[in-house]
This record gives sequence, C-alpha cells and structure tokens, in this order.
Amino acid sequence: MKAQAQAQGDDGARGDGMVKDRITAGHAIVHMPIRVEGSGPTQRPLDRRLVQRLFAFTVPYARKRNILSLLVAARAIQLPLIGWATAAVISGPIARHDQWGLVAGVVALAALVVSTALVFRYRIRLALELGESVLHDMRAACYRHVLAQPMSFFQGTQTGRLISRITSDLEAVRVGVQDVVFVSSVQLGGMIIAAALMLYYDWVLFLVVAVMVPTLGLLVRHFQSRMVRAYRALQESFSRVTATVAESIAGIRVTQAFARTAVNAELFATLTADHGEYNMRATRSSAVLLPLLELNGQLFLSVALVVGGYQALRGHIQLDAMVQFFFLANFFFSPIPILGNQYNQALTAMAGAERVFALLDTHLPPVDAPGANNIPPIQGRVTLRNVSFAYDPARPVLHDIDLTAEPGQTVALVGPTGSGKSTILSLIAKVHLPTAGEIRIDDIDLRAITGTSLRRQMGNVLQSNFLFTGTVIDNVRLTRPEASDAEVTEAARLLGVLDVIERLPQGWLTQVGERGSALSAGQRQIVCFTRAMLANPRLLMLDEATSAVDRLTERRLQRALAKLLRGRTSFVVAHRLSTIEHADLVLVIEGGRIVERGTHAQLMAHDGAYRRLHGKLAVGA
Amino acid sequence: MAVSGSSLSTAHVLRRLWHFAWSYRRQCLAVLGMQVALLLLGMAGLSLGGLAIDVVRSSLDPRAPAPPWPYGWTPPAPASPMLMVIILGALALTAAGLRALFNFHYAVGVNRLVQGEIVPELRARVYAKMQRLSFRFFDANASGALLNRTTSDVQAVRSFVDGVLIQSLIMLLSLGLYLGYMLQHNVPLTLACLATTPLLVVATMLFSRRVQPAYAVNRAQMDDLVLRMSESIQGMAVVRGFAAEEILEADLNRRNRKVRDGQQQIFRQISLFSPTIGLLTHVNIVVLVAYGGTLVIRHALSLGDLVVFAGLLQQFSTQITNMATVTGTLQESLIGARRVFEVLDSPVEIESPPDPRPLPASEMTGAVRFESVSFAYGHGRRAAVEGIELDVRPGTCVALLGAAGAGKSTLLSLIPRFHDPTNGTVRIDGVDLRELEVDELRRQIGMVFQDSFLFSHTVAANIAFGQPDAPREVIERAARVAGADTFVRALPLGYDTVLGELGANLSGGQRQRLALARALLREPRILLLDDPTAAVDAETARDIWEALATTMRGRTTFVATHAPALLQQADLILVLEAGRIVERGTYAELLAHHGGRMAALLGEGTDAAGAAGDSDGHPEAPSRAAGSGGII
Repeated sequence: MKAQAQAQGDDGARGDGMVKDRITAGHAIVHMPIRVEGSGPTQRPLDRRLVQRLFAFTVPYARKRNILSLLVAARAIQLPLIGWATAAVISGPIARHDQWGLVAGVVALAALVVSTALVFRYRIRLALELGESVLHDMRAACYRHVLAQPMSFFQGTQTGRLISRITSDLEAVRVGVQDVVFVSSVQLGGMIIAAALMLYYDWVLFLVVAVMVPTLGLLVRHFQSRMVRAYRALQESFSRVTATVAESIAGIRVTQAFARTAVNAELFATLTADHGEYNMRATRSSAVLLPLLELNGQLFLSVALVVGGYQALRGHIQLDAMVQFFFLANFFFSPIPILGNQYNQALTAMAGAERVFALLDTHLPPVDAPGANNIPPIQGRVTLRNVSFAYDPARPVLHDIDLTAEPGQTVALVGPTGSGKSTILSLIAKVHLPTAGEIRIDDIDLRAITGTSLRRQMGNVLQSNFLFTGTVIDNVRLTRPEASDAEVTEAARLLGVLDVIERLPQGWLTQVGERGSALSAGQRQIVCFTRAMLANPRLLMLDEATSAVDRLTERRLQRALAKLLRGRTSFVVAHRLSTIEHADLVLVIEGGRIVERGTHAQLMAHDGAYRRLHGKLAVGA
Repeated sequence: MAVSGSSLSTAHVLRRLWHFAWSYRRQCLAVLGMQVALLLLGMAGLSLGGLAIDVVRSSLDPRAPAPPWPYGWTPPAPASPMLMVIILGALALTAAGLRALFNFHYAVGVNRLVQGEIVPELRARVYAKMQRLSFRFFDANASGALLNRTTSDVQAVRSFVDGVLIQSLIMLLSLGLYLGYMLQHNVPLTLACLATTPLLVVATMLFSRRVQPAYAVNRAQMDDLVLRMSESIQGMAVVRGFAAEEILEADLNRRNRKVRDGQQQIFRQISLFSPTIGLLTHVNIVVLVAYGGTLVIRHALSLGDLVVFAGLLQQFSTQITNMATVTGTLQESLIGARRVFEVLDSPVEIESPPDPRPLPASEMTGAVRFESVSFAYGHGRRAAVEGIELDVRPGTCVALLGAAGAGKSTLLSLIPRFHDPTNGTVRIDGVDLRELEVDELRRQIGMVFQDSFLFSHTVAANIAFGQPDAPREVIERAARVAGADTFVRALPLGYDTVLGELGANLSGGQRQRLALARALLREPRILLLDDPTAAVDAETARDIWEALATTMRGRTTFVATHAPALLQQADLILVLEAGRIVERGTYAELLAHHGGRMAALLGEGTDAAGAAGDSDGHPEAPSRAAGSGGII
C-alpha cells in the first residue's frame, strides 16, 4: 500500500490510505485515559529555527540537494507546459486544419513529454534518497545521544517514549523532508505558471474564476481543521482499543481464572462498535472536503465555459483561449487540496522534529570530568570515604559510607528494600558520582578517570538478569563479541554450568526470546553469570536476583556464584544465606547508613540488626 | 513480520474471504451503484464541455463541422449559440453538484460498511475467541503479534472487501464505461490511444511484484533496529555495567545502515516506475493529439470530442495504475486473513457441556478428587503430571512441594479446568469437572498466581474483577481480609486510584495482597495459591502468609510453596517429582523420614530462605504474568 502511495510522486498522496480506527469509555476493561506513549501535540506551526536545523542535516548531501532544487524548478515548469502545449496544438494547428503544423506540434509535445519523464525520474529518486539519508543520520544522532546519557537520564524516561522518537516522530519528519518541500514547490510553481498563462490568454476570464480561490482556501482550511480534530479523537479511541487488547492478552490467565471472558467480550464489542462511530465521524468530515474541492473545479470549468463562450461568441477572444482554459484550469485548481494536505503534513513534521530535537538537546551533566584519563589495569582495592549520595537533594539515599575492600575480597550488602545497597554498587561502577566523599580504586580517585575504562574491567550482574533478544551465545558475548567458541565454552565450564547450557533445546544457539522470556529464571541467571565470567573482570558487582528458583537449581547457582566470585573483588547485594556466610565482609545497610559490619560469625555473636535479619532469612518466607 | 505458520492454502483463504465478503453483498452493491452513477455523471460533465467547445467553434468558424449532438438530437432553430452554451454550462454544473453529493455518500457508505460493520464485528469475534483460547495459544505467540490480530490484521481482512473487491469492480466498471464511450465515438482512435495500455499493465504488475516483498523486508529491518534500540534502553544498566556502549553503537549503526540501504533499493524501483507510468500516460496524449488531430483536420472527429478523449485518457490511466494498489492490498489481506482465521479456527479446548450439571454455591463443600489423572501439554510430549490419585476432604490445606517443572502448577491448573486431563478424572463434590459449566466452576475457585497481573484500572475494579457489580462494602471487606485496606486508603484516590497512574505504582507485596483480595471477593470454596510470595521479600512474604492463614480456614486450599512456615501448617504435603507424587504426609511425618525428598528439597532447613529477598532499586518493576509452563 505504502509502495503505490509513494509511487505517485508529485501529487503527494501518501498512504494515509487505511482510515485509522475510533470510543467513549463507559464501563471498560481498562481505565481509559491512557495516553499513547510519547504523545504530545501532533502538529506545530512552521518554525524557522526548526526548519534551519533540519536543513543543516542536508549539508552533507549538498550536491544532491542542489541538483534536486534545479529538478524541482524544471518540473514545476514542465507540468503546466504539457497542458499548455496540448491545448495549443488542439486549438492551433488542429483547429486551423494545418497538417504540417500538427506534425511540428506533436514532435515538440513528444520531446517535452520525454524530458518531463527524465526529470521526474531523477527528481523523485534524489528526493527519496536525500530524505532517507537525512533520516538515517537523525536516527543515528538519536541513539548515539541516548547511549551517551548518564544513567540518571534513563530513570526518568520511558522506553516507549524514546522509541517513538525514532519511529513515529522521525517518520513524520521523513514525510516533511522527502515530500512536503518538493511536492509543494512543484505544485505551487505549476500553479503560478498556469495562472500566468491563463492571465496571458484572457485576464478577464481568469480574474472571474480566480475569485473562487480564496473561498476554496477557506473551505479547505475549515474542513481540514475539523478533520484533524476528528482524526485525533479517532487516534485516541484507537489507543483505547489497543490498550484494552494488550492488557487482555497479558491478563488472559486472570480473566479465565475469574470467569470474565463473556463480560470482557461484551465490553470489547461495545468498545469496538463505539470506535466505529468515531471512525464514521472522521469520515463524514473528510468525505465533505474532497467532493467540495472537486465541485469547485467543475464550477470553474462551467463558469469558464459560459464566460469564455460568451466572450468568444462576442469575438472578444479566440477559441484557443477557451481550450487553453479547459486544459490549464486543472493545473491551477488541483494543487490547492494537495497544498492543503502538504501544509498539514508540514505541521506534523514540525511537531516530530521539535520532539526529536528536544531529545537531542537534553544534556545532563556528564559523569566524567573533561580531561579524565583511562584507568590502568586494576588490582582491585576499593575504598569509599565519607560517601554520600542523593538523586534529589531533598531525599538523600546514602550517608557517610566508609569501607575498604582488599583485592579478591567479597563484600556482601544486606538490608531492607530501598536501603541503598544497589546505589553503593552503582557509585563504585561510576554510574553516578557521589554527592560528597570520594571513591578510590587502587588509590585512584574515580573522578580522575573515565567511567567506561573502569567498567571495561568490571563485571556486572544486575537488573534481574536482563537478556537481549538473540541466542544464548550472543548474550554471553555481549561484551566480547570477538571471543572464540572455545573461550565461551571454557567460561561456562569453569562455572560448572556447561551441561545446563548444552542441555537447552538448541544448546548455545537457543533463542532466549524477548528479554530472555524463553528461559527460566535459573537459566537466565546462569547465562548472566557466564557472561560475567567471560568478561573475566577484576571487579564484580552483583545484584542477586530474587526470582524463585527451586532448591536444586539454587544449589547449582550457589556453586557457580562461588566460582565466579573467586579471586575478584566483589560487591554483592545478597539474598542468599550462603553468599552472605561466605563473604569476607558483611555490611548491614539501613536507611542509607552502614549500621553493622563484620563477618557473618562476628555479626552473629551479638544481638543486633544482622541477627534479626538473619533470623528472618533463616526461617524463610 | 514473518507470515505466521498457518498452513491454510491461498485458495482456501481466498474462498473464505469470498464467503466473508458475500455476507455483505447488499451493502457492496449499494456502494457500487453509487460508483456507476458517479462515473456516468463524470462522463456527462466531460462531454457537455466538449459539446460547448464545438458549439462555440461552429458558430465562429463556418468551415467547422456542426456540433455532434448526441442521439441525433438537434437544437430547435431559434436557440442562439449563447443560450446553448449557458444551458450546457448549467447542465455541467448540475452534473458536478450531483457528483459531489454521490461522492460524499459513497465515501460515507463505504466507511459505514467497512469501519462501522465489518471491522467492529470481526474484531469482536476475534477478541471473544481469543478470550476463550487455552493458554497454550498465548504461550506460542508473542503478545505483540496477538495484539495485531485484533487490530491491523482485522483491517487487512476488511480491506479485501473495500480495497480488493469493490476497487476491482469499480476498476472494471469504469474501464468498461470509458472504453465503451470512446469506442462509440471513434474506434481507430480509441485503439491507437490505448495501444500502450498493455505496457502500463505490465509495468504496474512488475512494480508491485518487486516492491511489495522489498517493503516487507525493509519493515522487518526497521523492526529489528527498533527492537535492538528498545532493548538497549531497557537493559541500559547492563550495557553501562559492561561498558558495552561502543559495541552496541556499532551494532546499531550496522542495522541502521541496513534500513537505509533497503530503502534505497526500493527507491530505485520507484524512480523507475513512477516516471514510466507518467511517460506512458503522456504518450497516450501525444498519440491522441497526433492521430486525433489528423482526424479533426479530415473532419472525421469533432474538436470537442478530442478534448473529451484527452480527459478520458487521464482517467483511464489512473484506473490502470490503481491495479498496483489493488494487488498490493490483496497480498496484505491474504496475510492478515491467514492470521485472523488461525485465531477463529483454533479449537477452544475447554468448553462447557451442552447440558451442564448445576453446581449451587450454597451446597458445594469443596471436596476435590483426582482419579488416576495424567496430563501432557501436547501429543508425544512427556506427561507433566502422571498417575495422580488424591482425595481431599472439604476444608483441607494441601501443600505442593517440588522442583521447577515437577508439575505443581500443572496439577493446580487442572482444578479450575484450565486443561482437561489426558487420562483420568478430576471431581469436585463427586462431579466430573467436564460435566459442569466452566464459568460457574471457576467462580467457586479463588486463585492467586506467582506474579499477579493487575489491570490498568482502579483498585476497586481490580478487586471486583470476578464480580464487576460487587458493592463497595464487599470490596473493602475482601481488601481488609487480604491486608490491603491500609495501603489502599493511603493511595491518592483510595479505592478509586487507577493503578499505574499518579505514581500509584505498587510494590510486589502490595500487588499480591490485591490479588489475594481479588481471589477472596467471591468467598470461594476452593483456594489455589501458586507460590504467591515467590517474588516478594521475606518480610512481606511472612505478612502475606499471616493474612492467608486466616482466609484458608474453612476452604479447601491448594498451595504450591517452599516456605517451611506454611508447610508446617498444611494438613497434607505432596512432594512432586517429574509429575508424580513421590511422598505424601504431614510436615512432621515427612521430616522424620530421613533421606526423604522433602528434606532434600528444603536443603536440611538451614538455607531454606534463598528464594526470598528484595529487589533493591527496582521496587516498581512492572509485574507480568509468569512465563510459559506455569499454571498462570
């Protein structure tokens, strides 16, 4: 569908083809004012600043762009010229019964037609290529920018919102870059030339009919703004339909368990029928506009016939003027709805561009200082001195954390949810900078070095074992894409989990599914451990997952973990008793402070926070 | 992206689409009738204009032929050329006005048929069917793909009606009418002008055959880039943690380039096709001017007819190029139809018998019996549970213990009849479940899953999910029993707070308490708990178990758990291994049995806490229903 729409070229008709769907929420399956991800105003007035910034993206393709401008100008002349030439031949040699004149006219017309096709070929190709190149660069700019943002950026941002920047917003920009500029130039140019020609043939007749233009313009604007509103309501209704379906799918087990299938089906039938109503409303407003525009063109022709006929019969003008009007009128009137549509798309493109640029303009203070060096190979001594941290100054997360870990030691952090354990890990990884105090690794202040160079020597098993779509081996190789099969297998063997991975349906080549959903929680942890093992880091940050795994798997994981920790300085947010008991240092964190420290044995020796906590863990859920 | 693995043949799909469309034949005919009127009016307008030109010409130029009045009609002698021109102009305008009217009604008519009837009906059917399908279907399909079945796939199916059937009929009709009109006026000229038409047809076909697949490929490339991008954002902590930004960027660059190069391929095709179509259309005009002009010079054709021909040729080539759209739409509707039919054809595995036995809530006791029950998830697959013999008296608490995949969840799922046993019978109060009305059965059972799904609706609506008309007091009572009342009241709008909005994100423990309230609302006789504290920390788990202890009293309860605290309370513990019950007894009995399976599973008691813990830093991680294999 898209293909043909694009293929049409200069009339700028694009695949808004399928009329988008439209409800009012009564009793619903989901509560409805759910906004579409990343929504915002769908249109924005033309803005010189935005246009200039967009234009800047064409600079690397200046040659293409300049040739394109010439082609557009040529085409704006050619199109009405064909109409004119056809009319001229008909009302000239043909009407005069001049056979040789006809031959000459046909030859000229043929030459014009062929040159038009040639110009069109390059005009369309260059425009599409230019647009896609600009889009490619803008997409790259977006993800490069996003990747370079500090972690704090991601805490306040929804993925869907960021993604809609490179999908729907850039798609709107694409229409602007590929179509709007060129199509409207061609159409506007053609319109002016057709007007000039008509003025030349008979200015009275032209003025009589040109009066209609403003009326037409107002009509278009009126109905278009009505249409835009109707379609926006339609979009919202559609997002209700999608949100309802999406939740119904996700919650299918609950629905069936609570015998709600019939109720839901009925509610959905109302919802979708209601959506149909919105659709009808949108159609009614768009269905008025197009016939009205066509009617105007016809009205013009009728008036031209009568006025032209009158003048011709009175001998004021020649017949050729009348024929010319017959042919040229089309070039004057058909651009009006096209320009209206293009204008609308330009506004949509502006809104898209504005959001994309707003993303590119988000500059959070970088974590690394300007001139920071790479950290040399590290031994693994980690010191925190009076470290405090707050995401938000009003709500400090950590207070005066002091600790030292010698190379190779395991430090276990325990404490209730939200006490700040993970934050300590992220500070050591230089994901955030402490608000006060300093962190040193091998006596190097973290502020003096780059976070990336540090993390290259660091392993992380965080975030509930996140996996990327792809195979198991792809995920293990995440940080070392160049690692050989032998190295990968060796890492799993060292952890004692090789058999687990090889027993997967396709072994190493098993697809892990979206976010690892095809694997069990235990299998996901094993893949993440192997990934960290392959990276063979000096420092290891580990957030033990809380997912339920059965005891036998649990045993395997404990053994693998013990092997992973061996010989590296490790910080573990620990939930497993075995991990805690084997740690060289246990820190009990409460309310962002270290309230107790020591080995398991030392801490058990007196009645404190640890013993209470341990009691709870030991009794179990 | 990829065509789903449906095995339906194209001919079969087409036949079904045809049957589907046939049920809307009346509306289609009405719409087509309007198109015929539109075409006739358009041609009338065009020929009136041509006639007017001839009238003017003949009165200006005595050598010019008389205007070719249609049907041998001649104007009465006193009619002046001016009057005739005015009349012709007025007629042309009337035709245009009528056209506008018909156009409006055509657009509204098509839309009423398509978006007002077909789409809502089909969507409701697909949705209703999907609600009743077994979980197997949902496990086998990505949620995004399922979403598309009720949205874009349904649209693709309806486009068979308006985009393929109606459009091709319009195309045939208009081509026939144009051709008839032109042939009636001048046969050789018509043939000459349309000589290039076959080329136009071939070019259109070639283009759509080449470009359609290219677009499909490119869409897949774009999806690939977007997926990678969104995963990078979701997994940013991992990317950051391993300093893998550069690796990732290189990867994204590669995918981005692929998208661009794929697009450029398509552009090359477009930039060949569009100008070719334009050229062929224009060539027709040139032929018309050359040959038609000669005919006019030889007095074999009127000048007005020539102008009319020019107009018709334009329409003609528009219709021909429309073919590309129609074939593209046909392909899309076939793909969509396969997916929609697949849903509609999927067997609803669990259905109520035609004549179900009543199960009055007041008389139900909650006795559950398994008689030699076995169940496998598919033909030829290993049995998930096997040879289960079990007789549970009303009010008993049964705990299920076993490693992942031992069959605990499967066993639970047989009680609300999420699956039917492959062999054997499950009975409640002595009645085979298959003799009961499914919904009625499930209303007697309260369920809490590992990771409970809550809908983006108010707290009250979520608790009342199984009984939407429950009065507020009942909802609040259920919440109190589940220990949810206190934190619900602390939410911005209390029970009317919409989950997920206004920062109303709940912790795992709070979500589970709401899930428990939801399960208790109907005061079920039977309670099924599938490891409901698996994803919450130890402290919360304890609170939840305390709330449960009171609610379990007097109900038959099945609970899958590893928590020793709960195992101790159970009247009966079943230890499952590879789908079989390998040990049964009370906690004390099983513990006394040295070398027993329970002891092994619990790891001698000391490190029995591993599964619990917290999720520091991600207290608001969104909950999802647990993955495949589980009951829920």
